Amino acid sequence: MSGLSAPLIHTLSLAMIITSFAAVEARNLRNATIAYMFQALLVTGLLAAYSVQNPALLFWAATALVTKAVLVPWFLWRATAGAEQETKPLIGFGVSAVLLLALLATMFKLMHANAGLFIDVTGEFAALARTNLAVAFTIFVLGIYAILTRRDAIKTVIGLCLLENGVHLSLVSLAPAMKETALAGIATEVVVTVYLLLYIIGGIREKFKTTDTFKLSELHW
Amino acid sequence: MPVEIKSALPALVVIAPAAAAVLIFMIGRFTSWLKETLALAGAACALAGSFEIGLAAFRGGVLTSFGRQLYADSLSAMLVILISGIGLLSIVYSLRYMRHQGAAGAAQHTTTPRRLAVFYGWLMLFLSTMLWACLSNNIIMLYVAVEASTITSGLLVAFYWDKRALEAGYKYLMLLTVGITFALFGCVLVYAAGAHVLGGARALLLSDLRPVAGGFPVATVVLASAFLIVGFGTKAGLAPFHPWLPDAHAEAPTPVSALLSGVMLKVAIYALVRTVSMFYPGFSPISTFVLALGVFTLVIGDIMALAQDDLKRMLAYSSVSQMGYVLMGFGIGTPLGIYAGLFHLLNHALAKSLLFLATGAVTYSTGLRRISDLGGLAKKMPVTVFCFFAGALAIAGMPPFNGFQSKLALFIAGAHAGVWWAVILGLAGSLITLLVLLKAAKSVFWGKPSPALSGAAVKEAPLTMTVVMVILALLCLGIGLYPKAVYRPLNAASAVVQTVTSHEPALGAPQDSTTQILHRP
Repeated sequence: MSGLSAPLIHTLSLAMIITSFAAVEARNLRNATIAYMFQALLVTGLLAAYSVQNPALLFWAATALVTKAVLVPWFLWRATAGAEQETKPLIGFGVSAVLLLALLATMFKLMHANAGLFIDVTGEFAALARTNLAVAFTIFVLGIYAILTRRDAIKTVIGLCLLENGVHLSLVSLAPAMKETALAGIATEVVVTVYLLLYIIGGIREKFKTTDTFKLSELHW
Repeated sequence: MPVEIKSALPALVVIAPAAAAVLIFMIGRFTSWLKETLALAGAACALAGSFEIGLAAFRGGVLTSFGRQLYADSLSAMLVILISGIGLLSIVYSLRYMRHQGAAGAAQHTTTPRRLAVFYGWLMLFLSTMLWACLSNNIIMLYVAVEASTITSGLLVAFYWDKRALEAGYKYLMLLTVGITFALFGCVLVYAAGAHVLGGARALLLSDLRPVAGGFPVATVVLASAFLIVGFGTKAGLAPFHPWLPDAHAEAPTPVSALLSGVMLKVAIYALVRTVSMFYPGFSPISTFVLALGVFTLVIGDIMALAQDDLKRMLAYSSVSQMGYVLMGFGIGTPLGIYAGLFHLLNHALAKSLLFLATGAVTYSTGLRRISDLGGLAKKMPVTVFCFFAGALAIAGMPPFNGFQSKLALFIAGAHAGVWWAVILGLAGSLITLLVLLKAAKSVFWGKPSPALSGAAVKEAPLTMTVVMVILALLCLGIGLYPKAVYRPLNAASAVVQTVTSHEPALGAPQDSTTQILHRP
């Protein structure tokens, strides 16, 4: 397979799903941040692994390392200082874990089976592309799940980061030849959005004395 | 094929406001007038450049910069003129409004030189990113620019930094970022499909994708369209993706509300039309879905507007409704429908900016914005009354204002296309809009003053604010009385969208269809 290690990629992909699960389910926000940081490192590792097939992805891996694995976790770490415990989520751990596992299994299977809708599944690297796309969509859905079911504003930002990681990972299979400027634009935007969101959440904590989004009830439709 | 001319103008239009922003952040806080001067200069440069682009584009030319990464055809030209024009007017309006302590309940600290420099700096970046979005020919950078316009306006929405503003700012950034991520998926799918036909580099360019998009696989088209409609539709405030809109539009400083409603929603619609319309020839059911979504949006927006007591929230829901009309035009998909959609986009930009600014004038003078708290302002604020009514009648589609012309074109397009259900719902929506706005106007300007207002010394807003409102009101009236003035740019802009539509022209030649029907005796 031209130096592309299938076992390595499958291991990294599985580890990505596990770290995503941990980032969503960890009740301590700093633990969730660490889980997210590991996931970001795995994204970097996956991109570096795929760069054997497409050297342009090395630039992408470097960008992901700086933005996703260093800057975003640093912002999250700072934002959680003094308020490490997550506001009790909408769904308790037991039910949420079962729901999440069911969601993960369904999404992975669905996307793995239907990857042909998005990519050419007849080439040499088809099996790896299927896995990559299935993992990417699974993490994307997991991010949406976190945003919808978590009450803590900082946790919803972690959900947003997962969602973005899912999309960016899908680009490896969908748009491997994309120009560096476009990739840099996408990566920069995530960092700036997360920074601004956490900045506003800092203001919310100051004024509302909480980061519980259910307490944000000044505005009614 | 349009004639492509290499030019620095598209780059200038994007860079001038961004450069002004950088200077404002660096040195704007040192003197009381520098930030405003820099903002005015940046916006004026952008407007001058936009007019120059328009002169070339409306004659059939296309200006390109950075190796076709920026691409100004007549559709882009129309949008950049709108953005930079309303941007400049909003800055002029802000000169007095943002220094006023009581505006919209602004806290004392919001009017310090440092905070005002932050305001103008982000405002200029906001303008620059919207202009970039409308000029970008790179499908991925289109997403980047649209998302950048969310980022740059996020802190403007939360500018007053009180509970309501912070809540609105959080919802705005979170919901729009999640929504727009779907658009990234859509853009990437289009790029991936295009790369098979065009190769990697050319598949990034919208101008090269359009001619070949009709041949993409149906599954790709359906999925990409769904992602793009959810993504850009969220930003455009289309129902049911609209919940961020009333909060953000109501809590932002009024000049920002005018920009959010007046132009930012249009940038999102532009992105939606630029991308999704390229699939019409190969998959016409998409246009039917777009039409249904437009009608659903206009109905939801009108119903929600009925229930509001806060003037700005009412206007925000009205914007949801009017975006439905714009989308309805693109959904009808005939040349006249597309023309009418673009015409209403232009008219709504002018009229809704006017309405928000008139509401801002009321808030400036009274410190209030709830309809039930206001009353009896007609004699004290005659210019604002005239401007509010001009905007309200224009939005409701009443003659002799511009909204009448675009809604007439829209309903005629619907009737010719045989979508009577959409026409009937659209007409009903217009009546509700008229009812909502006139009821609010009667209460605010002729109603009995509330205890909160009686005894307060209310007077007309300052000249720099009223001049801006009068300019917009006269534009609404002028286009309503003499719509031929905008036929040429609108025909040229709608021709860009029509280049890929497969529907039979509703009325003769596409270029002249609207002119013909609107001039029939």
